[in-house]
Amino acid sequence: MNEMSRRALLIGGGALVAFGAAGGVNMLLSEEAQAAIANGAQAPDFSVQDANGATRTLTEFRGRTVVLEWTNNGCPYVRKHYDSRNMQTLQQEATSDGVVWLQIISSAPGEQGYLDAAGARARVQTDGASPTATLLDPTGVVGRAYGALTTPHMYIINPAGVLVYQGAIDDRPSARPSSLEGATNYVRAALADLDAGRAVRTAQTTPYGCNVKYAT
Amino acid sequence: MLRFLAGLIFLAFSFAAPAMAQPLPGERQVEGSLHAARAAVAPGETFTIVLRQNIREHWHTYWINPGDSGEPTELTWAAPQGWEIGPIQWPTPQAIPFAMLVNFGYEGEVLFPIEVTAPANAPVGSTVTLPVNAYWLVCSDICIPEEMDLTLDVAIAAQGRDDPQWAPRIAEAVAALPSNAQRVDARITSGAPARLSVALPNARELRNLRFFAFDRDVMRAGEAQSARVGAGGASFNLTPGVANNLGAVPLAGVVAYEAQDGGAWVLRGVEIEATPGEVIAGTDEIAAQISDDYKLSELEGGGAAPAVTVEPLSAVALIAALGLAFLGGLILNIMPCVLPVLSVKALSFAGGAQNGEARKHGALYFAGVMVTFLALAGVLIALRGAGEAVGWGFQLQAPWVTSALALLFFVIGLNLLSVFEFGGSLQNAGSGLATRGGDAGAFFTGALAVIAATPCTAPFMAGAIGAALTQSAGVTLLIFAALGLGFALPLTLLHFLPGLQKLVPKPGPWMERAKNVLAFPMFGAAVWLVWVLAEQTGSAGVMALLSVAAALAFALFVARWGRVWLAIGAVALVVTGALMWRPLVGAQTQSVLVSEAWSPERVAELQGEGRGVFVNFTAAWCVTCKVNEATSLATPRVAQALAEANVAYLVGDWTNRDETIAGELAAHGRAGVPLYLFYPADGGAPQVLPQMLSQDLILQTIQGETE
Repeated sequence: MNEMSRRALLIGGGALVAFGAAGGVNMLLSEEAQAAIANGAQAPDFSVQDANGATRTLTEFRGRTVVLEWTNNGCPYVRKHYDSRNMQTLQQEATSDGVVWLQIISSAPGEQGYLDAAGARARVQTDGASPTATLLDPTGVVGRAYGALTTPHMYIINPAGVLVYQGAIDDRPSARPSSLEGATNYVRAALADLDAGRAVRTAQTTPYGCNVKYAT
Repeated sequence: MLRFLAGLIFLAFSFAAPAMAQPLPGERQVEGSLHAARAAVAPGETFTIVLRQNIREHWHTYWINPGDSGEPTELTWAAPQGWEIGPIQWPTPQAIPFAMLVNFGYEGEVLFPIEVTAPANAPVGSTVTLPVNAYWLVCSDICIPEEMDLTLDVAIAAQGRDDPQWAPRIAEAVAALPSNAQRVDARITSGAPARLSVALPNARELRNLRFFAFDRDVMRAGEAQSARVGAGGASFNLTPGVANNLGAVPLAGVVAYEAQDGGAWVLRGVEIEATPGEVIAGTDEIAAQISDDYKLSELEGGGAAPAVTVEPLSAVALIAALGLAFLGGLILNIMPCVLPVLSVKALSFAGGAQNGEARKHGALYFAGVMVTFLALAGVLIALRGAGEAVGWGFQLQAPWVTSALALLFFVIGLNLLSVFEFGGSLQNAGSGLATRGGDAGAFFTGALAVIAATPCTAPFMAGAIGAALTQSAGVTLLIFAALGLGFALPLTLLHFLPGLQKLVPKPGPWMERAKNVLAFPMFGAAVWLVWVLAEQTGSAGVMALLSVAAALAFALFVARWGRVWLAIGAVALVVTGALMWRPLVGAQTQSVLVSEAWSPERVAELQGEGRGVFVNFTAAWCVTCKVNEATSLATPRVAQALAEANVAYLVGDWTNRDETIAGELAAHGRAGVPLYLFYPADGGAPQVLPQMLSQDLILQTIQGETE
C-alpha cells in the first residue's frame, strides 16, 4: 500500500471513529447526569476551612475511611437524628473505630442552617456531636461537586479515596422521631461491611431530608 | 423507660419545631379539617370523607412519592370497632421545583378523599366520632413537620343523606382524582434515559405533561422529561433512579397533564402501569405544549418554545433556507476549522494530477462530504427523536470525541512533519503526496473536513440548521444536503476544471516545505481541542490526553525500526491508553457556575429592574464565538459602553450539554452557538444580533438604546 493511501486510511478511519462515537457518547453523557459521582469513582477532592479555621482537604485523609454528613441544624430531619442522639452515637462509634467523620454545612449565608466558624463550633458543643471536623461550605462548591441534595445526605469514601456509599442515613424518610425505632441505618451497615472487608451491600439509596440551602 | 425516652424526644422536638418556623413563629402553615359527603349514613353504608388541607401561600405538602425531598401526609386512625377506613386517595400532584431539586406535591387547598364503611350493626340514631392523628411535612424554602388531632362526627340514620355543603365539593374532588377506570396501554424501554410511552388519544390537546412514579427510587425527580405527543399518545424521557431497573420491571405512576375544560385549563391525571417494551407508535411526533406559567418550563427547555417549532416551512421559506444553507456551506470552506484540512488536499494538484484521476478523486471527495453531512443529519434526527436536545457541533460536547479529534490532528501533524512515514521511502514522499492521492484518501478527506468543520458556524448557516432541526426528517436531510453541496463545491470544482489547476504552482522542493508548514495549523487545531477538553474534564483529561498523545507519537516514531519496535510501541500505547482512558470518555464532567451565568429568571429579573441585558450564548469549542469575543465583545470600549448604559452582560455557556440553553437557542430558530441577544431596557422582546459581530455594531446596539 502506498504512503498516501495509508495516510488516507488513517485519516479516514480516525474520522469515522470520532464520528461514530458522537452518537454513543452523547448517550453516555446523559447517563452520567444521573449522579454527580458514581459509586466506584474517585471522590472529588476539596479544600475548605473547618470550624477551627484550618484548611481541610480530602487527600489528607487518604488511607482512612471518610464519612461525609451534610447537615443543617434547623432542618427537622437533621434535628430528628441529633435530638435523639442517633447521629452522635453513630459519630462516636465511627470515629472511635478510626473513621474520619466530616460534617459539611453548605447552607448559604442568610439561609437556614448557615453557620460561621464560631456558630458551627457552638453547634457541635450544644449537640454534643463528635465529628472529626465541621467543614464550612457557604458557596456550595463541595456540596455541588458531590451532588448533595438533602440534609442529611451521607457519603462514605474508602481508604483508597473511592466513593462506596451515597444516599440516606437510614430507611425511614420521615422527620418524626418515632420513625427511628427499628430503622435500618445504612451508614452503620456500610461501615460494618468495610470493616469486614467486603463490598458495601447497600451502596446507593435515595437521600431524604430538607433541600440543601445552596447559594443561588 | 422507652416511653419516657420517646416522650423526651418528642418534647425536645416540639420545642425545636416552632424555633424553625422563623417567618411565622407559632403559626401553622397548614389548617387541616375532616369533612364527610354525607350528613347522615345508614348502617353498612360506604361513603367518602376528605382530609382538607388549606396550605399557606408559597408552602406545599407532599404526594405519596415526595420527589427529591419531603414526606407524604400520614393519617393514623383510632376508629371504633367495625369501622373500615380506607387509605388516602392521592390527587394528581404538581412538580414543585426548588433550586436543584423537584418535589411532588400540593399547594393552596387540597382535598384528600378517603372511603369509609360504617358497620352494619351501627345503632341508628347514634353519633360516632372518628378520631385521627394527622401528620404532614409542610415546606417552602424550609420544612416544618406539623401534627393535628382531628375528629369527624358521623350521624347514623336509617336513611343516609348528603351534606349539602360538602357532597358536591367532595364529588368534584373524587372526579378530579387520577383516573384508573380504563386500562391505558403504556410501555417503558430500558436505557438512560428510558422512554415511557402512553396511549392517550387526545395527547395533542393536552399541555404540561409529566409522569410521576409512585415509587421514589425508580426515577430521578428533577430531570427534564422532554414530553412528546402524537396521534397515538404521549412519551417521556425518564432518568433511572437508585433502583436502576427502568424497562426491566413494570412501572406504575400517574401521568399528569392540563386539559381544556370549558375554556379553562384544569389539572388531571391518569394512573398507568407501563410494561417493558418498545415505544408505542405515534407518541413521539412533536414536543408537547408547555404553558408559560408551568413551573418546570425552564427545566423542560424554555416556555412555549417547542410548540413554535411544529410550524412547517412554506415553500418560499424552504427555498430561502436551502439557499442560506448552500451559502453557509460555501463560506465554511474558509473557516479556520476547515482550511488546514483542505489545504493538504489542494496541495495534491501541485503536481498536476491527470484529469481522469482528478475527476475521480473530485467525485469521491464530493461523496465523502455528502455522506458525512447526511450521516450527521441522520444522527441528529435520531437523537432528537430520542428527546435529546442537540445541535450543530453536538459531538464536541462528548469529551471522547474531542480527544479523538485532538489525537487525529496531532498524528496528521506528525505525518506532515515527516516524523513518520508508512512504508514508502523518504524520497517518494513529495511526489507521493503530489501524484497519488489515493481513492479512499479523497473520500475520507471529505469526511474529515466535515467533522473538522462542525465547531465553526459560518454566517447564513446557523439559521438554516436551526430551521432544519425543527422540521420533519425529510426537510432536515434536504437542508443538510444543501449545506454539504455548498461545502463540497469549491474543492470538487478544482478537481474538474483543469484551468483552475493550472493556477496551482509546479511541483518542486517547496512542496515538502509547504507540507511541513501545514503541520502547524494541525497542531494548532489539536491545541485548541485540548483546551476544549480542559473545559470539559479539567486537568485530569488534559493529563490523560497528552499521555496518550506521547505514547502514540512514540509508537509511530519507532515503528519504522522494525517489527520488534512496532510491538514495543503498540504495547506502550495500549498500556497508556488502558491507564488513562477514564477522563477522556468524560467520567467527570462538571460545569463551573459563574456569577453572571445566564438563566431565563436572571434576564427577567434584570428586565424587571429596567436594565438592558446583553446575552452571549457561547461554547469553548465554538471558534466563531471565541473570535467574536476576542475581537468585538471583550474590548474596553464595549465594556465601558455596557457600564454607561447600565446593561447587564450574561453568558450562557453551551460547552457542555444544557437543555435550557438548547431550548433558548431553539426559541430563536437556532441549533447552535453563537447567539447574541440584546434585551432593551424598556422591556420587550430581544433583538437578535448577527453571528459575526463587530465592535461598532455592538456599540450601536447598546447606544441606540440609551438615546
